[in-house]
Amino acid sequence: MFGMYKPLWGKSPSRKSNYDAVIIGGGLHGLAAAYFLARDHGMNDVAVLEKRYIGFGGSGRNTAIVRANQRTPENIPLYKEALELWPVLTKELDYNLMFFNCGNLNLMHSEAAMNAARMNVAIAQFHGVESHLIDAKQCKELLPALNISEDITYPIFGAMYHPPGGILRHDAIVWGLAKGAAKHGVHIHQNTEVSGIGVDNGKIVSVDTSRGKIHTPRVLLAAGGYSAAIANAMLGIKLPISVLTIQAMVTQPLKPILDHVISSGMYHAYANQTLKGEIATGAHMDPWPNYTTQTTAYYIKHQAEALAEMLPCLRGVKFMRHWAGLADMTPDMAPILDGNEPIEGFYMDCGWGYFGFKSCAATGKYMAQFMATETCPSILKPFTLSRYQEHRFMGETAALVNYSPDN
Amino acid sequence: MALTITCPICGKRNGYEFRYGGEEKGPRPDEEGLTPEKWCEYVHMNNCVAGIQKEWWCHRDGCGVWFTTQRDTTRNLEVDQPEAQS
Repeated sequence: MFGMYKPLWGKSPSRKSNYDAVIIGGGLHGLAAAYFLARDHGMNDVAVLEKRYIGFGGSGRNTAIVRANQRTPENIPLYKEALELWPVLTKELDYNLMFFNCGNLNLMHSEAAMNAARMNVAIAQFHGVESHLIDAKQCKELLPALNISEDITYPIFGAMYHPPGGILRHDAIVWGLAKGAAKHGVHIHQNTEVSGIGVDNGKIVSVDTSRGKIHTPRVLLAAGGYSAAIANAMLGIKLPISVLTIQAMVTQPLKPILDHVISSGMYHAYANQTLKGEIATGAHMDPWPNYTTQTTAYYIKHQAEALAEMLPCLRGVKFMRHWAGLADMTPDMAPILDGNEPIEGFYMDCGWGYFGFKSCAATGKYMAQFMATETCPSILKPFTLSRYQEHRFMGETAALVNYSPDN
Repeated sequence: MALTITCPICGKRNGYEFRYGGEEKGPRPDEEGLTPEKWCEYVHMNNCVAGIQKEWWCHRDGCGVWFTTQRDTTRNLEVDQPEAQS
């Protein structure tokens, strides 16, 4: 029944040869920027170009965890605002985003980690984000399935408990934003690959696509894992990005046992139970840059070992699906949000690594403001590309042990 | 399918034995006349090639040697010929 296919955000509009703004990438950041451009700034003449289908990339491949207990004062406000936007957007977009405000437990496995968590908690509380430091016994009270025994590889000392966080259905927010953007007149062009960006006299003038040339004075690059390659190949702008694959998997559906998101830096694993009952769990990144979305048996074993120790009741449970997505990692684990530099009319929203999902709504809102007013909102100012030259790394990783692509 | 890397000493081994050491960026720039832009470009900036790239690896869990090899990032496979089209 392919002929009957009609996206819920309406029929695909015919492509025009002129737009006020072109957004490369039909993921969450691109769609959010388009939605807010049209809703708040009266810029309705916007095209979102997507090579495959919307939400094909990281937007549909993440483990759907949202939280705002980051480490630095620059990052927290963005994530905090995003967290407050989910219930608002659910109403505004008239689309159930399935936000499950279950709370996050970031497990700590040493005294040193507990000290680092103390600082995280203090920064979060300073910015009005609810976050508590709890000990192993309190973890067990919150989550009876958790193994707090001392006989495991990394015994649990305590956790950073962040009640406002939770999970959000990732496809729903993609479709919801697409619906909202289309309602305000944005054109979403799927199966449209960008092959070049035209620059004249230091200004953006056009975008070449697989379906013809589009004239535009503004381009937002929000192509997730492909952003760095696009910026380099089409504009000669090099970015401090390494593109790594990150793998995730879900188990067979179970009765409710895990009503918090748990994550562990030592086990390199995070897990939550979806509303369907599957345990969705993600791993650390594959440590070499690549553009495949290949999955490896290495991580099936890794996840099984980690989950069997942290949540022993999951022993013997089967994995059902396993996938991978691309994470564009920067050296300081913070994004690159910049515009009009070095090319007028060229805006970047990339380098999100594996944090892009959690902040998409707030970032889209401010990137839209940036593009409409041509002045960088103060909340985005710390994220310029020039910070790397100035050695102003954001301290999102507590200590850089060695400099590698997965920092 | 997991990655295999050919170590010049130990031969073809599982990729998880190795540490990726970044893109090959040529020699370290001269300190004389070095600007923050040039240093930043050498230290942080990547080409992120979707295709064949020359890169550094270290046989971390093996003999410890550092070497360069070529790999196709779109297929995540090592490429045999030494100076292939990039």
